[in-house]
Amino acid sequence: MTVQMKVESPTGINPMIRHRSGHIGSSLPRREDRSPLLGRRRYVADLKLPGMLEVAFVRSPEAHALIRSIDTGPALALPGVHAVYTAADLAEVGSFPHTIQYIRPVDQRPLAEDRVRYVGSPYAAVVAADRYTAEDAAALVSASTEFETLPAVAVLDQALAEDAPRLYDSWPDNRLVDFPAEKPEVTKAFEEADHTFTETYVSQRQTGLPLECRGVVAEDVDGQLTVWSSTQSPHIVRTTIAMMLGIPEPQVRVILPAMGGGFGAKTHQYPEDIVLAWIARKLGRPVRWIEDRFENLVSTVHARDQRHDVEVAYDDDGTIRAVRCAAYCDVGSGEIFMPGTATVFVTAGCITGGYDFPNMEVRPVCVVTNKTPSGAYRGFGTPEGMFVMERIIDRVARLTGADRVELRRRMILQEDQMPYIMHSGGKVDSGSHAKGFERAAALIEQSLARAKARYADDPDVRVGVGYNNYVEPTTPTYHLTTGHWAGYDSATIRVDPDGAVRVALGNTDLGQGAETTAAQLAAEALGVDPDDVTVVMGDTDRAPYGLGAWGSRGAVVMTGSVLMAADRVLVKAREIAAHMLEASSDDVVLADGGFHVAGSGTPKVSWAKVATAAWARTVDLPEGMEPGLEMSGYFEPPDLEHLPGADGKVNAAATWSNGAHAGVVSVRISTGEIRIEDYAVVHDCGTMINPMLIDGQVHGAVAQGIAGAMYEHFQYDPETAQPRFASFMEYLYPTCSEVPEMTVEHFETPAPEQPLGVKGCGEGGTIGPPAVITGAVSDALADLGVDITATPVTPAAVRRAIREAAARGAAS
Amino acid sequence: MKPAAFDYCRPASIDEAAAALASSDSAKVLAGGQSLVPSMNFRISQPSLLVDIRDVEGLDGLEVDQDGVSIGASVTQSRVMNSDEAYSAVPGLRRALRFVGHLQIRNRGTVCGSLAHADPAAELPALAMAAGARLTVRGPQGERTAAADGFYLGPYWTGLEQSEIITGVCFPAEAPGTVTVVDEIARRSGDFAVVGLAAAFDLEDGSVGGARLVSFGVSGRPQRLAAAEEAVRGFHAGAAGDGLYGAAYEDAADAVGDIHASGEYRREALGSLLVRTARAVSASNGGKAGAR
Ligand SMILES: Cc1cc2nc3c(=O)[nH]c(=O)nc-3n(C[C@H](O)[C@H](O)[C@H](O)COP(=O)(O)OP(=O)(O)OC[C@H]3O[C@@H](n4cnc5c(N)ncnc54)[C@H](O)[C@@H]3O)c2cc1C
Repeated sequence: MTVQMKVESPTGINPMIRHRSGHIGSSLPRREDRSPLLGRRRYVADLKLPGMLEVAFVRSPEAHALIRSIDTGPALALPGVHAVYTAADLAEVGSFPHTIQYIRPVDQRPLAEDRVRYVGSPYAAVVAADRYTAEDAAALVSASTEFETLPAVAVLDQALAEDAPRLYDSWPDNRLVDFPAEKPEVTKAFEEADHTFTETYVSQRQTGLPLECRGVVAEDVDGQLTVWSSTQSPHIVRTTIAMMLGIPEPQVRVILPAMGGGFGAKTHQYPEDIVLAWIARKLGRPVRWIEDRFENLVSTVHARDQRHDVEVAYDDDGTIRAVRCAAYCDVGSGEIFMPGTATVFVTAGCITGGYDFPNMEVRPVCVVTNKTPSGAYRGFGTPEGMFVMERIIDRVARLTGADRVELRRRMILQEDQMPYIMHSGGKVDSGSHAKGFERAAALIEQSLARAKARYADDPDVRVGVGYNNYVEPTTPTYHLTTGHWAGYDSATIRVDPDGAVRVALGNTDLGQGAETTAAQLAAEALGVDPDDVTVVMGDTDRAPYGLGAWGSRGAVVMTGSVLMAADRVLVKAREIAAHMLEASSDDVVLADGGFHVAGSGTPKVSWAKVATAAWARTVDLPEGMEPGLEMSGYFEPPDLEHLPGADGKVNAAATWSNGAHAGVVSVRISTGEIRIEDYAVVHDCGTMINPMLIDGQVHGAVAQGIAGAMYEHFQYDPETAQPRFASFMEYLYPTCSEVPEMTVEHFETPAPEQPLGVKGCGEGGTIGPPAVITGAVSDALADLGVDITATPVTPAAVRRAIREAAARGAAS
Repeated sequence: MKPAAFDYCRPASIDEAAAALASSDSAKVLAGGQSLVPSMNFRISQPSLLVDIRDVEGLDGLEVDQDGVSIGASVTQSRVMNSDEAYSAVPGLRRALRFVGHLQIRNRGTVCGSLAHADPAAELPALAMAAGARLTVRGPQGERTAAADGFYLGPYWTGLEQSEIITGVCFPAEAPGTVTVVDEIARRSGDFAVVGLAAAFDLEDGSVGGARLVSFGVSGRPQRLAAAEEAVRGFHAGAAGDGLYGAAYEDAADAVGDIHASGEYRREALGSLLVRTARAVSASNGGKAGAR
């Protein structure tokens, strides 16, 4: 189903709000920066309510076990403890909804009921006077719980085995979803091709890792429940709480005060939101829970734990004829809403990236294991897929002697192919794929030469280069991800009596600068100064229903909804102004902060005068006009499909950004140490609203991509599924010393179907680095026979690859 | 992530501190808190009493004379790192300390705290062994001294009794002709070493006369590399590194694997690190070889 809706004014005055005052495209400083830099921003953890109690969750130390009994007595006896709740107390609370029909049902209770399926799973909640006491009591509950340990499923192969222990007794196996794919044209290409090879590419378990962990404060006053939560989607949290607690939605208000990063991890509906809301009502006192870093590492969703079994058909001249890929995602226990199934579908859909490559057959499979549930993380399946595709291209180049750049040139999407329909139905609406790659390749060629010169005298150091050409699906549907919500977002614009503008958005800000961007858009649309625009978001009582921030959608949905609402405001304002000017509204234009008759600059009617008439001096309104100056826009992005067609294909994103990454590394053979010598990004997200903010998105996302390429890795004991991490001693994010300076350049190819030609830009930077770094390390060590097939590439992994290549060489 | 309940005292004299520490089996010294407090927050460590030694009189001395550098128990890592006198007497100190955590950690963490904590991947215990440092220890029975070499028994395990306090450490001045260096491979800057080497080379005319070589981060404790110390004799900048590499590889036979690297990686990388270091030191012939 496609909803076609463009931002067209009913009166046709829309051209008035296009690129007039120059706010679009200007690097306006971030209005969000002042308070965090001064330490004054208020996060959930800064809230102190009178009489507030602390909640600590008791989390499973077992990877897989039945809960035989819980004795809450010792904890309740501790002074300062107000209550201890287990699943039995929450019997009246519903389960998390099961909304996606094609995946197996996971009956997830807010607290684990009789079985725990991962270390960190919450199964009891302690309420106490302070967090110290709460943790003392949680330790007592833990010590008084009797588990019956079940065999744990720790690794993918084990989970897939016929005789594997089952996580869910009612399932025939451990597959949450399995979508077999078969394409006759792929089968044919395999029959015809000169050669084939098989390989397995693995990307490791990571997480979004926001600086601010999750946190919830809940309070119920006279049946009115307020929940402050560090969530990317406050309205969705409200709907979920109301649904599960069985209370009318207007009686629930969810507020995101400010957010210190989300990166997808905070899009999910977590048990803690529900349990805190329930406790606040039960006790009649405000309660709070602030996730600590250990909890964050074990109980906020993980991501990217994928294995790709690949078969490639290619010809002597380097032509890649077809690829078959079984993409397995280890989604952990699967106990999370929304479920973690969608990412591997995105891998399947976007694996061909910026290449014209139709003969792709991908079978997405989600497998449950006794690990933390996995879900969203910036990039959402794309980095995993791009890593596979670029490794395949490099391997074919190596096997056939083709030049790596030349091979990519042969495959890359050309402008005259736009719109290009991908193998999966993705409609790449426009882009600068070919020229972006040429530019990135040129930039990095110089870096490569410099690096080679730098290490010319050191025989222990090798230098290599890696490439990636990606497409970034932006402004996607939520329907395939949640089975419930879809793709629109909203804005309500009110011009107050003094002429100042208030914009309320269904979108939220996680730190990207959405407030600044929204102010630029409204200022542009209404011909006012951005400083005269107040932006409100993240509060279900103050902002219209909307789906929040995820999927690189903010720029597109804010542009659409703000322009729609502004347009409606303008229509009315112009009528009021025309009445005051005693002119026909068709003759009235908006310029320099006021309305006047076209062709004559004076007299001028200001926004303040118009708005004062609308709200206060209604005697000045045209005869019979309804008072007020507040309008909403609910923007459904054009081109966005929410469900696959009969052929299984779907354009699940409204518009597609693109980028080329290239990087140079040096590798020390004797120790495996890797240094990123240079990194270049040529980026295209259509019309840029605020180029500085876009650069910031690219920088941060590339850093997270490097994290995935070289550092961050959740490791579990392969027998017991016990986590081998508890802190940042084990989970290593890159610091500023590890992230290199990078060159970022932009092309601006407008989205043909989207308002102002805007595309999304939040995730693209994460996509390139795993492909680029593994490509560059493999290139550096090519004459040793090294070809990296897994991330992260650590010094130890490099040494192992060198040893294995040497052993292969000796054996052959 | 909150510690279990504990008592806290902040004595002014070493006698009081020693008495307080002896008053309970699970009392612990609190110095900079950079290792102890995190382990308490994880409840791995649940001391009943913390004896904060920051105010204890006589423990805050940093003295440099011709014999060497004496560092009291409350002296921070930053203070030592920033002392030019300490650097000229014992250059290895600054060379080790630049690898220890980050600025903020060194501003609180103490040198003696690191020596007492005995993290197998810590730089300072290995340096203390290579440089021949001696610890001064105060216990219920009075004061004793102990050589750093021999003090380290296993992970977080030393020859210190629960009721003993390290009051200070003395690093002997680097002898003429000796070059002390510390180098390591860590996953990120500021991390504990995955593989580390503290080495004191005695140089004679551009070749190595002898050396005290200590690995850290490789096995369960800082470890003298006996075979490599033999193999390094006579090593010079142009020498083939294979013998030295092989000796270090053998010395590290009990290297441990963890999530950051396998034991095999640690053995290989230690050998490479040693050869690389020995080459650089002999090439510079006793100059500022350790400074990168
Ligand atoms: C993020 C981070 C990174 C770090 N990176 C490194 C690194 O790369 N390399 C490294 O070596 N260290 C590192 N550290 C540890 C740091 O160096 C610690 O400061 C040091 O190990 C302990 O010193 P402290 O003074 O903080 O001791 P504390 O934490 O106060 O005490 C540590 C232990 O030693 C005992 N103790 C302390 N002083 C004495 C004494 N005088 N007598 C007897 N017992 C005593 C305590 O009882 C406790 O058991 C890091 C720490 C952090 C938090």
